[in-house]
Amino acid sequence: MKEIDQLILPDDVRFSKDHEWAKNEGNNVKVGISDYAQDQLGDIVFVEMPQIGDTFKKDEEFGSIESVKAVSEIYMPVSGEIVSINTELEDHPEQVNQSPYDKGWIIEIKPDDLSEIDTLMTNKDYIAMLKG
Amino acid sequence: MNISPDIYHQLSILASQDILSDQDCLYLEFGKVDYEIAWELQKYLVNARYEGSINTDIIMLLEHSPVFTIGKRGNRDSLRVSEEFLKNNNTPVIHVERGGDITYHGPGQVIVYPIIHLEKARIGVKDYVAALEEMMIQTADDWGICAERHSKNHGVWVNNKKLGSVGITVRRGICFHGLALNVNMSLEPFTWINPCGLKDVKVTSMAKESDQSIVIKDVRNSLRKHMENVLNVKLNRILSQS
Repeated sequence: MKEIDQLILPDDVRFSKDHEWAKNEGNNVKVGISDYAQDQLGDIVFVEMPQIGDTFKKDEEFGSIESVKAVSEIYMPVSGEIVSINTELEDHPEQVNQSPYDKGWIIEIKPDDLSEIDTLMTNKDYIAMLKG
Repeated sequence: MNISPDIYHQLSILASQDILSDQDCLYLEFGKVDYEIAWELQKYLVNARYEGSINTDIIMLLEHSPVFTIGKRGNRDSLRVSEEFLKNNNTPVIHVERGGDITYHGPGQVIVYPIIHLEKARIGVKDYVAALEEMMIQTADDWGICAERHSKNHGVWVNNKKLGSVGITVRRGICFHGLALNVNMSLEPFTWINPCGLKDVKVTSMAKESDQSIVIKDVRNSLRKHMENVLNVKLNRILSQS
C-alpha cells in the first residue's frame, strides 16, 4: 500500500470520511473514490452504479466496487439526483485504479444543496484523518 | 442445528462488559448452521459494530448445511443442474452481497466469518483478503498440504485445484462474510456448478490432498491459532453453541 505522503490528493476536490471525493463542475458535483481508497482495494474488476434519475441522501449507499473477491459499498458525499454515470467503467473498471480523479469518476450528481460540498474535508483535513 | 435466538441476548451482555484490550476479539463458535441464520447474525453484528453497541471485532467459526450462494456479480448460469434437481436435494440457492461468483457450502467445510472494523484496524481490503488466504495456507501446512495463492483467482489452491475460497463485503469500513476451507466433505455438489463462475475449476479438500481422514475439530483449532497470529488478535472470549 502507498504511504500517506505518496497519495495523490488534489486541492480542487473535497473528501468524505468514507473516502469518496466530490468536485464542483458547474452546478453539478462529480464523485469518485480517493487514491487512498483505490490503493487499499486492489485491482478493481467491477463498479456497480445507480440509474440516472435515482435520488439519494448524503451517506446513503449508491453503488459498490468489487476488487479481489471483495464488494465494498460506496456512499453519497452529498444529497442529490444522479444525472450522469461513467459508462466507460462497465468495460474498464481498472480506470478507477489508474485515474481515480479523472477517467475513474463514477457519478455526477445534481445536488439538493450545492453548498453541502463545503461540509466535506479538504485534502489537508483528509490527510489528518488518514494519519489518525 | 440453528443458532438459539438467545445468542442476541448473550451478545448484548458480553458487549456491555469492559473490553480487555484492543486486540480482544469476540469469538463465536457454532456447529452446523443454516446459511440464512448466520447471514442475519452477521448483518446484525456489522450494524452493532458500526453503531458501537458492540465495540470489539467478532469472529464466527461454523459449518453450513448444504447451500449454494451466488455473489453480487454472479448469476444462475453457473448452475449446471436444474432448479428441480436442487430442490429434490434440499439445497437452496441464495444471492448474497459478497464478492465472487457461485460457491457451495456444506458439512465438512470450515467457515470463518470475521466482522472486523478494517477502517479502525487500518487494514486495507487487499491486505485483508491476503490475510484470509494466509491463515488457510498455514492451516493446510499443518497437515503437510502445500496450498498457494493464484495470481488470477483469489482463494487457495493445491495443484490448480481449489481448497479454500474467500468472498467478503465491506460496509461502512466493516467487513463480513469471509472464508470457506474444504476439510472433509463430499465434493460432488461442486460438480453441479461452475465454481467461481468459471469453467474447468476443479475443487479439492484437505482430506483428499493428505489422503487421510481429518477431524474437523483439529482444523478448527489450527485455524483459530493461525487467525490469532495473522490478524494479531486474541480470541479469548468464547461463546460456543454446538
